[in-house]
Amino acid sequence: MSTKEQQERIELLQGTLDLLILRTLKLGPMHGHAIAKAIEFRSDEVLQVEQGSLYPALHRLINRRWISVSEGTSENNRRAKFYALTARGRKQLTVETGKWDKLARAIAQILSPGEQEEA
Amino acid sequence: MTRRKRMLADLEEDIRDHLERETQDNIDRGMSTEEARYAALRKFGNVTRVKEETWKVWSVEWIEQLLQDLRFGVRTMWRSPGLTVAAVMAIALGVGINVGIFSVLNGLALRLLPVPHAAGLLSVNQVFHFHRQPDRLIHNDASWFSYSEYLNYREHNHVFSGLVAYEPYLEATLRNGAARQVLGTAASCNYFEVLMEHPALGRGFVNSDCATAGRSAVVVLSDSLWRSAFGANPSLVGEQVVLNRTPFTVVGIAGPGFAGTEPIPSAFWVPVTMQEALEPGINRLASDNMSWLAVLGRLRRGVTMQQVHADLAVIAARVDQLHPGRATSLVIRTATFFSSPDQRQYLIPVATVVLIAFALVLLIACANVANLLLARASVRQREIAVRLSMGAGRWRLVRQLLTESLLLSITGGALGSVIAFGSFNWITRLVTSHLPHDFPPIAVNVGPDLRVLAYALLLSVVTGVVFGLIPALRSARADLNNSMKVGGTLGSPARKSGRFLLNTLVGSQVAVCMVLLIATGLLLRGLYHAQNVDPGFEIKGVATTFLNLERQGYDQAHATQFMRRFQEQIRAIPGATEVAQAECAPLSHDFSASQFTVQSDGDTVFIEYNHVSPDFFSLVDIPILRGHSFSPDETSETHGIIVTESTARRLWPDQNPLGKVLREPSGREDWVIGVAKDAQVAHLGESTSNYLYFPAGPQQDTRSYVLVRYATNFTDVAKSIRDVAHSIDPGVSIDVTTLDDYLEVWRAPARIVAALSGTLSALALLLCSIGVYGMVSYSVSRAVHDIGIRMALGADGVDIARHVLWQALRPVLIGGVLGVGLSAAVSGVLTSLMFGLGAHDPIAFVSVPLFLLTVALVATFIPARRAMKVDPIIALRCE
Repeated sequence: MSTKEQQERIELLQGTLDLLILRTLKLGPMHGHAIAKAIEFRSDEVLQVEQGSLYPALHRLINRRWISVSEGTSENNRRAKFYALTARGRKQLTVETGKWDKLARAIAQILSPGEQEEA
Repeated sequence: MTRRKRMLADLEEDIRDHLERETQDNIDRGMSTEEARYAALRKFGNVTRVKEETWKVWSVEWIEQLLQDLRFGVRTMWRSPGLTVAAVMAIALGVGINVGIFSVLNGLALRLLPVPHAAGLLSVNQVFHFHRQPDRLIHNDASWFSYSEYLNYREHNHVFSGLVAYEPYLEATLRNGAARQVLGTAASCNYFEVLMEHPALGRGFVNSDCATAGRSAVVVLSDSLWRSAFGANPSLVGEQVVLNRTPFTVVGIAGPGFAGTEPIPSAFWVPVTMQEALEPGINRLASDNMSWLAVLGRLRRGVTMQQVHADLAVIAARVDQLHPGRATSLVIRTATFFSSPDQRQYLIPVATVVLIAFALVLLIACANVANLLLARASVRQREIAVRLSMGAGRWRLVRQLLTESLLLSITGGALGSVIAFGSFNWITRLVTSHLPHDFPPIAVNVGPDLRVLAYALLLSVVTGVVFGLIPALRSARADLNNSMKVGGTLGSPARKSGRFLLNTLVGSQVAVCMVLLIATGLLLRGLYHAQNVDPGFEIKGVATTFLNLERQGYDQAHATQFMRRFQEQIRAIPGATEVAQAECAPLSHDFSASQFTVQSDGDTVFIEYNHVSPDFFSLVDIPILRGHSFSPDETSETHGIIVTESTARRLWPDQNPLGKVLREPSGREDWVIGVAKDAQVAHLGESTSNYLYFPAGPQQDTRSYVLVRYATNFTDVAKSIRDVAHSIDPGVSIDVTTLDDYLEVWRAPARIVAALSGTLSALALLLCSIGVYGMVSYSVSRAVHDIGIRMALGADGVDIARHVLWQALRPVLIGGVLGVGLSAAVSGVLTSLMFGLGAHDPIAFVSVPLFLLTVALVATFIPARRAMKVDPIIALRCE
């Protein structure tokens, strides 16, 4: 990893990891490592997720009953824990996505008011 | 397994699994095994932190933090043992004495009665509101019942499964073997059944025992009387014992733990209908308007207090119709000792004063510990600043510091409570040693119960918060920038406000201590005053004996015969110079009083009176100022009376009182034949209230004091007097004391309170001087640097000492002045409770502050001397 590459990566905003996990699990049940990979991959490797921080976040979501966990077998026949979205989690995802959109729009508006006016 | 445990159990494995997958991915991308593993770990981040944070998701955070704080608190306490011991001891002292006194009050007035299922026993009391002159007769307690009232409530209520009535404190002479005086109870015949105290031997009372007045002479003896007087003879049931002159058949022996429902144990129980057999000549049963029976009801299952109040109020209204001019309200509460409003009215203010005095000592202890903690807080300022700058929340920090102080206070509180529970014997001995010798034993359970433990815990927690909060809040507000620098506290604003806080604490300590000391000073002065009081009559060298012959079963003719022979034979005793008879011996706490109408202007006045024999005045040396004393042939049949000079002056100002007429409530008229000098014969310290003397007659012989002036020693005379009484009637019970002993009774309350408050103030003074000493040494040690500079600039030791002393004494002086002011404000309360106190006694108000100031000076001087000896070179090199 070069220094330049590191600078292009963005630290995750606090609280957004939960949203990303929920969104990722919308595609179907996954094990921990796969979730980390998926987030990395889908953000074109721009978002730098410290993979360890995934676990407290997963447990937090389980505690809130937004995701569930079950034993399963992974693609290469290894035993693994699979995390899946619950009904409550699905609802929460909609709420959180809505909030995020609002926030993003608001911040964009502040950062570049001119463009907004033109549009 | 809980969800939490299940989730965490697999965490480790999950993380390992994750790392393996990542490593594999990296190997697949072409890294070497070693490199791949490191890259995976790097990408994962700190494994331990991840685990901790995951645990936190599942933990109840405050409990874990509390445990953490406790562990840290214990370590901190352990690291500074000196401070810990000092703080714990101060709190143990403060909490201990408070818990101790509370246990006593709890035993006296809060504990349920010592009978089974006591929570279901209610005490019922009447409070009367009279529309005109009160005409209620009172025996023992104004809020108790007459027999007919009791029967009314018993027959007509729907809320009690049983209602008992009893007359406690019945004196009787037990005449089996050596005559002895015992206190017993006349009780309704459902007494043992309703209280659920079935006698251990034999039976209790049955309804037929109470059917006819004076018919069923049966008695149940207490276990302790059975053991002490009858050697626990199991065949006593069925035998006869003689109480006063009446033989009673023993039907039962009460259970060993049962001694009645009053603080003074009952030695026997007779049916209430036998009352007159024990109090001959007084038929209380027939009097519908006399308060003499305490009433306890056992609540029916499922009945609420509202229902009780509603149901009994109906009966009260009905009873009131029989007594026009009065309205009754009922006071109903779960039964304890001292349930009646009459008794509580006295108990509650006294208890409040006592509790406040004890709480003040705790307050001083708190101030001391707060001082210690503040001093330590400044030492720990850097530790705290480091934590704050590393991101610890202030609230979190305050919580941790509070946990530490609570740890201290609860340790101290527990220690103090244990010591308090252990030292009751000592306190009881202290109190009883100051009571008059014939004071009955008191059966009060002062052992700890839930209420006492709750009080101890509450006190400890409040203490912890009180002394911990200020230092904690202050520490958490620390100025990081300054504290982090070495010696950065010098001259900083934080230091200034800290000094202010210290001064406030010391000042308030001194103020509180001053209040306690002045209170003690007043009490001691009162005691001294009482010891040296001149009652206005000759109190020394008089033996006195109280003979209630009526109680001992005499009728009036026999009593008169006994009295005449008794006095005659006493006159023959060598060493006895004078003999007199009086209805009330001077200062014996025996009072008679009545309303009299002054004939000349029709005014009604309240006058205390006494029936005395002619020799009385010369025996106690009260001169007759005008007119003449009674002659031997004057009795209560004649109409001459003697009034005191103050009474004469008040009733007939500027007139000759001789021949003036007073009318008794019965309509009988008496006229004044003499005026006696004022003397404190009824109440100590009071000689000018209205008082008059009647001549004693045969009516007084059944219940009378006999006074004997003696020239030799008391022991011989007392023995001769007893021998004389027994030679006339071997069965008579007689106790001989001196008039001086009566004086002791008047002094006893002041003496007990002075002993207690003296102990308290000694503790307060000790704590307070430690506080002052601590503050001064602390500020001297903090100011070594300043002192060094001053010295280097040419100040000499005396200047420094003067400076230190002034700094230290300022809060002491301010606190002292506040304390004196406070004492002046509250001393009125004390004077109303205790005899012979001047509320603004100049000696107490001058000497006590001077004394306290001296102690403070000494406490200051030791550290101040240290300040004088500061070597500027060493002080400045320290930096």
